[in-house]
Amino acid sequence: MRNRKYLLDLNELQYKQVRLPWYKKLLKLFFWLAVTIVISIIYSIIFENIFGSPKEKLLTQQIDNLKLQYKFAAKELDDAFSIMNSLRMSDEVRYRPVFEMDSLPGSFRNPGFGGIDRLRYLNGYLNSDIMKSTRTRIEELKNMINVQDVSFKAIEERRIEWERMYEYLPMISPVDVTIKLGDGLKFREVHPVTGNPQWHYGQDFNAPYGTDVYATGAGKVIEAGWNSGGFGNCVRIDHGYGYQTIYGHLSSIKVTKGMNVKRGDLIGLTGSSGTSSGPHLHYQIDQYGQHKNPLYYFNDDLTEEEYFDMIRMLTSSTKFR
Amino acid sequence: MPNSRYKFNPESLSFDKIRLSIGAMLLRGLAYFVGSLLIAIVYYLIFAIFVDSPKEKALMREIEQLTLQYDLIHREMENIEKVIGQLQETDDNLYRTIFEAEPIPESLREGGVGGINRYKELEGYDNSSIVIETAKRLDRIRKKIYVQSKSFDDLISLAMKKEDMLRSIPAILPISNKDLTRTASGFGLRIHPIYKIIKFHAGMDFTAPSGTDIYATGDGTIASVISSRRGYGNHIVINHGFGYSSVYAHLDRFNVRAGQKVKRGDVIGFVGSTGTSVAPHLHYEIKLNGVNVDPVNYYFNDLSPEEYERMIEIASKTGQSFD
Repeated sequence: MRNRKYLLDLNELQYKQVRLPWYKKLLKLFFWLAVTIVISIIYSIIFENIFGSPKEKLLTQQIDNLKLQYKFAAKELDDAFSIMNSLRMSDEVRYRPVFEMDSLPGSFRNPGFGGIDRLRYLNGYLNSDIMKSTRTRIEELKNMINVQDVSFKAIEERRIEWERMYEYLPMISPVDVTIKLGDGLKFREVHPVTGNPQWHYGQDFNAPYGTDVYATGAGKVIEAGWNSGGFGNCVRIDHGYGYQTIYGHLSSIKVTKGMNVKRGDLIGLTGSSGTSSGPHLHYQIDQYGQHKNPLYYFNDDLTEEEYFDMIRMLTSSTKFR
Repeated sequence: MPNSRYKFNPESLSFDKIRLSIGAMLLRGLAYFVGSLLIAIVYYLIFAIFVDSPKEKALMREIEQLTLQYDLIHREMENIEKVIGQLQETDDNLYRTIFEAEPIPESLREGGVGGINRYKELEGYDNSSIVIETAKRLDRIRKKIYVQSKSFDDLISLAMKKEDMLRSIPAILPISNKDLTRTASGFGLRIHPIYKIIKFHAGMDFTAPSGTDIYATGDGTIASVISSRRGYGNHIVINHGFGYSSVYAHLDRFNVRAGQKVKRGDVIGFVGSTGTSVAPHLHYEIKLNGVNVDPVNYYFNDLSPEEYERMIEIASKTGQSFD
């Protein structure tokens, strides 16, 4: 009652209670709604101009966080690249020179990433650059890894081959280093037994009767017995790579034909069998039938003690299969 | 006037014109303002829930793509890290098998100290272990001091001599070795690559491809240029005077003749694998009055202190020489 409002009707000079018909009420409601909306819009425009929209703020913050994550990813990438570069360095500077392998061609290392822009779909974003550059760098890194993997595999294969080769090639003295050398690879005007001028295709060691003779490299015994060509009791080992070694004039043979030996294995004892004027070892190295100078295939830089240490090491170690 | 509103006053039984004081009007204005603000907030929230502004839409698209790409990158990086780990392992294995980086027992390195128990008289006291330790350390220091004082003597005599001595003494690396990656094996006890026994290595090895330039490390005269297929293979000896000479072994080719005078940095030959060598490398020796000295102490023109430290570390870690 108290809040009822009245209007003075000047025509009837009467106070009349303000009563609105329903449609006018509805109209008024609409009007009121419209006004509030307009006011709200004005408010929000002012608010957003001053403070920015909270949702936008939230989104921008999220983007900032993501950008930070990209930054971390970029750091990880930097690390990965520096590791890869050091691996590449080892590859090119350490391993390849050791194994006498050529460096990988530059074109193989850097195939280039031109051509079709596969990351085109990332265009048109605020942070297109970050996304594209990160993705591109990852592709580069993956390529670098693949190349390195291929390269390391090749080096590893070469290493195994290299180790095998140095196990097989004749590379030590067949007898104790203190034993005096006799005739080397040369033309002899007078053969000590036959008296005829003749080529001497090996190195003689003036070893006393019964001195141990060791295999100078790993290989397969292809001859063990009497040699009718004058070597007497003779052992011939095939080392592969075209190499064969011959140990002649032995008094006793400790291996049999077909046996696999490794460097340092005892193969026989010196003697004077065959065309020989006294106990000595005839040691000969042939590569593809060519006679090589055995002196080039071992060095006299060992003491007697070191020589026998080596023989013990070579035959006892499990390192050599 | 016609729009003036009235209010029925039941006490006076009359209609009073509704008049508002300024305060009340302000209050009412404030109420309208607050009301409209509240309504505006409600509208805004409803609007915000159902409708996104174009800018927000763009941002959301951005976030979606960034997240998508990041997940992709993250997964890739995880794989990459695993693969790189494997590659590093391969590298380690290669390094170990090529350079035999298994350390040589410390006891062999620190020759001299040890052996007979020289500290027997110090045993049996309360603090025996400390005393013995200290005595041992003192002994070691004394040895070092002796060595040090000898090198100081050298330094003093060196300082007293003339410039040409400084030019003559080997003082640079014999091959270009910018980041020291070519250092293979140092001076001292090393595993021989063929004999597989520990042998004294009288010089320093640098692995480098065949044909790499070799420099004279100090001024001097070429004492000998020797072609050989044994031992050092093709090698050069330079006489620097003042008791110094240097040896460059396993060369592929020579660039000098015997008797020729050379200056520091002159190319004297090229890396090879001649003589008893299992891989192309340079074997470099320095002799002082006929005795081999550790070349690592003769790179002072080339190396910064940090590089020197690293060089020592690399050279001492490698267990295998290449000849």
